[in-house]
Amino acid sequence: MYSDKLRKLFDAGSIKIGDLIKVESGDLIFEGELMPKTEAGHEDAIVVKLKSGYNAGVMYGDGVRITKISSGKAVEFPLSNPKMAENLPKVSLLWTGGTIGSKIEYKTGGVHMTVKPEELFYYIPELPSIANIKFNQICEIASEDMSYHEWQKIAEETADALNEGARGVVITHGTDTMGFTASALAFMLQNLNAPVVLTGSQRSSDRGSSDAFLNLIAATNIAANSNVAEVGICMHASSSDDRMHLLRGVKARKMHTSRRDAFRPINDRPIAYVDMDGRISYVSEYKKTVKAAGKVTANTKFEPKTALLKVYPNSDPEIMQYYIDRGYRGFILEGTGLGHMPVSTEHPGKSWLPYIKNAIENGAVIGMTSQTLYGRVNANVYRNLRLLGNAGVVYCEDMLPETAYVKLGWLLGSHDNKAAKELLDKNIAGEITKRVNYDEFLV
Amino acid sequence: MQKQVRKIEKLKRREPKEAVDDGARYKEIGFMCGLEIHQRLATREKLFCSCPATVAAESDKTIGTISRYQRAVAGELGNIDRSAEFEELRNRKFTYRIRECHTCLVDIDEEPPHGMNHEALGVALSLAGAMDMRILDELQPMRKEVVDGSDPSAFQRTTFVAANGKIMVNGHTINIPSLFLEEESCGIVAGAEDGITYDTDRIGIPLVEIDTDPYIPTPAMAKEVALYIGTLLRISGKVQRGIGSIRQDVNVSIKGGARVEIKGLQEVEKLDRFVENEVARQLKLLEIRDALKNAHASVGEHKDVTKLFEKSTVKVVTTNMQKEGAVFAFKLSGFKGMLGREVNPERRLGTEISDYAKMAHVKGLIHSDENLDAYGFTEKEIHDLRLFLDIKQDDAFIIIAGSRGNAKRAAELAMERAKYALVGVPLETRGVHNTELCTSKFLRPLPGGSRMYPETDARPILLTKEQIDTAIKSVPNIERERKALLSEIENKGLVDQLLLSPRLQLYKTIIESTKADPNFVANTIMQKFTELKRGGFGVEGIDEQRFVDLFAAYSKKQITKQGVEELLKEMALHKESVADLITVKRLHRITGAELEKLVRDLRNEASDPSNVNEIRNIIMSKNRLNVDGSELNALLAKRS
Repeated sequence: MYSDKLRKLFDAGSIKIGDLIKVESGDLIFEGELMPKTEAGHEDAIVVKLKSGYNAGVMYGDGVRITKISSGKAVEFPLSNPKMAENLPKVSLLWTGGTIGSKIEYKTGGVHMTVKPEELFYYIPELPSIANIKFNQICEIASEDMSYHEWQKIAEETADALNEGARGVVITHGTDTMGFTASALAFMLQNLNAPVVLTGSQRSSDRGSSDAFLNLIAATNIAANSNVAEVGICMHASSSDDRMHLLRGVKARKMHTSRRDAFRPINDRPIAYVDMDGRISYVSEYKKTVKAAGKVTANTKFEPKTALLKVYPNSDPEIMQYYIDRGYRGFILEGTGLGHMPVSTEHPGKSWLPYIKNAIENGAVIGMTSQTLYGRVNANVYRNLRLLGNAGVVYCEDMLPETAYVKLGWLLGSHDNKAAKELLDKNIAGEITKRVNYDEFLV
Repeated sequence: MQKQVRKIEKLKRREPKEAVDDGARYKEIGFMCGLEIHQRLATREKLFCSCPATVAAESDKTIGTISRYQRAVAGELGNIDRSAEFEELRNRKFTYRIRECHTCLVDIDEEPPHGMNHEALGVALSLAGAMDMRILDELQPMRKEVVDGSDPSAFQRTTFVAANGKIMVNGHTINIPSLFLEEESCGIVAGAEDGITYDTDRIGIPLVEIDTDPYIPTPAMAKEVALYIGTLLRISGKVQRGIGSIRQDVNVSIKGGARVEIKGLQEVEKLDRFVENEVARQLKLLEIRDALKNAHASVGEHKDVTKLFEKSTVKVVTTNMQKEGAVFAFKLSGFKGMLGREVNPERRLGTEISDYAKMAHVKGLIHSDENLDAYGFTEKEIHDLRLFLDIKQDDAFIIIAGSRGNAKRAAELAMERAKYALVGVPLETRGVHNTELCTSKFLRPLPGGSRMYPETDARPILLTKEQIDTAIKSVPNIERERKALLSEIENKGLVDQLLLSPRLQLYKTIIESTKADPNFVANTIMQKFTELKRGGFGVEGIDEQRFVDLFAAYSKKQITKQGVEELLKEMALHKESVADLITVKRLHRITGAELEKLVRDLRNEASDPSNVNEIRNIIMSKNRLNVDGSELNALLAKRS
């Protein structure tokens, strides 16, 4: 945002963002379009887009003159309005925002959410040849801002789309919390008998090198042509534009801040790969679609008073009391190693044991996962663990902490604490596997 | 038009004294010319990451490759039909080599950029200072769309740093409207049918781009300006040297012609000839246009003529036929003789059209102004084709063979270019075709303005007074540099030559690291170097350290002056160290006691020991390269 001083000056000269202006500062004369001010720049630096395409910043001060030359024109994005082929599989495309749904407005650099399907089809003309796509924008939200309210909405829309005849659903989503949403859908969608595929991008779709195009094409392929009856995440399998993998939503995790292949299966193998030609190769067991299944229902109740806590050396266990005092019913702990927490009495006030016991006595459900992510927690190896186990902590097997958190919140949404506790370490949607295979580490 | 051509022909034959008139003559033909000079900076790290800002040595292992596809996302791409370009790009695979030490995630578009490198910014600011430029208050990093795959992100980061500069070159004021700080692109490794391989070692090395305005009055002046800016860059001491570290792009147009950009000129010495040739090419194209208009020429539609060549034995045709290819041809009414007209040395209108066809991955085209017998066409084949296309006396035709899709697309592109022959000179980006003849070839249509948008991952940079002051303190100054050189080298002409030469830094390094006589060093690396180069010795391939070793050996009296020249030849041919070459090639200097012994022995043998000349001649004839003449003279004078 420009400073008050400048905004007043612009108003006085009826200058708007995008107008052609002339800025004179000493011997420097620039003509170009007035650009909006991003939060990154100085509020008094007037940014002008020159004919050459470059932006130049001129600091406003004494002797700087700004005059309007002409009004600007609105930026129009190219559109394409292809006819959908009725004979192709029906796929519902649910749009929620995130990097994949945003692109830079070329003149201003402002982020623009692609909401029109015509824009999308212009940039990815392959899509209408894969499926008969029905586009539905649900929200426009960055994934870090997602909450269980959005999970509920997406689950309901997904169920509706499937019940209305879609043979698969693609959901575009910001990548940061895509794993949470995928888990939520996996638990919420009951009697799921179709592929539900979340996809996103690590590079925004305004750049020619974006992974958005191939991810969306591959996800659409899965939704249109696969017999997977699970919620999956489909993103780049490697840094190359080579093949995309479909990962089980409850077992997938974003493991890199920025790489295209950030999503990895944890304690799991990919379900399938989709190559550049759209060919799907299945590489592990998965739940398959069956004929004549009933309707999909969305059981979307969620207990927001559920917390995910991480323990670490010197951590203060009193944090649990804070939550208990606020009526929290469930906790997923990210312990160290096999599922440890400080329990020694040698450092007064640092043992989690009394707090855990207290929470359980208050009726809370406590699940233990590991911050190593890979591997299974086990309450029987060390004495400290047995102490926790004895106290009533549920050891969540090879479940991801985030998945366990979503699962517990969902369980508490429709069950009492006792029933939720019973179900926490039982497999519901593929989140717990009895066998962790050798080749499931760091893949 | 004829008059103009004669004028330019005369111009090319000019005597040096006529050069003064160049300005007026070029002005008359509406000559416009501007330069863009791209120079890699010698900073420690790359512009937006912490990889070393150098081209990787072979020892930096390739630890993997990745492949990517790119899409045109920023809108239409110049003159070519956008959808075709879009398809083209979408199916083009780019492979990138990843180096152990020179590539990080930022380079391969897997991590956002880090902050802009301060050292590089400092160099850009001081160069701006040297050209009396106005540094912008707040710098705005931009993304410039790149569609050839040379940047894994599909854009290049570039920042407008300074404006409104000027330099004085030979009494002319040349305006420098802009200086940019940008990222180097990937170097190409190999091109294959299914894609291109790039090396990511050099991507992100900081570059400055310095632009002149388009009013450079003559080709000769363009070269002078390029030399001047090159010198300014070199004396800053902050730029990289060696092949590819500086590139000149030159924009040329004439009245009635069009702006053509010739990219990537590396030998500044030939810049004027490239410009002259471009002027000549445009004049010829205009001449051809006029002739075609007079002949009411036109270009016909392309036709599938595969059937006519089913039994052909012509190699270009059969090779494609085996792969279920196709042959397309089209008529060019009134074009007879025009396709064979030379527009530049060894380049004809047909060559220009062929460049376009090649964009569709065909080997080239065949046209009727060529000797068709040489291709092996039968009379019948040609007769049938002429009949099919309805070729009359004054018409010409073009044949293109290739895979069906490519051949058709190539024919379309060739037709597009052929039609433009009736309009004049197309706006083009051209590249070097022949470095000896200084001719260029079509690369792609001139983009209709760069597609640029803000680099939202890098913050705008508000320059502080302190930053600017620090940079201004280290502003390179050519006059100061000249004075410093004059204090070391007696020959003024040599100083001026050295000042403008890319070997200036080499000279400095040698002087700093050895005790060799500056006059001898300057003379050797300038005049001797050129002589040897002309003599076919690849002295330009000798690296700096070996030069230092050479002059160190000389200053330590291990070799003679004559030995230096001889050793240079050997160094150009062999990779061995200087010390080894001295031994192997027996170039050790005979000096001091050893020389005294040689003189003593000869005296004993000589018929007349007092005949100094005879002794000197015997010694020098046997040891020309090993004995320093003046040392021998002194010794003989002492003993006689």
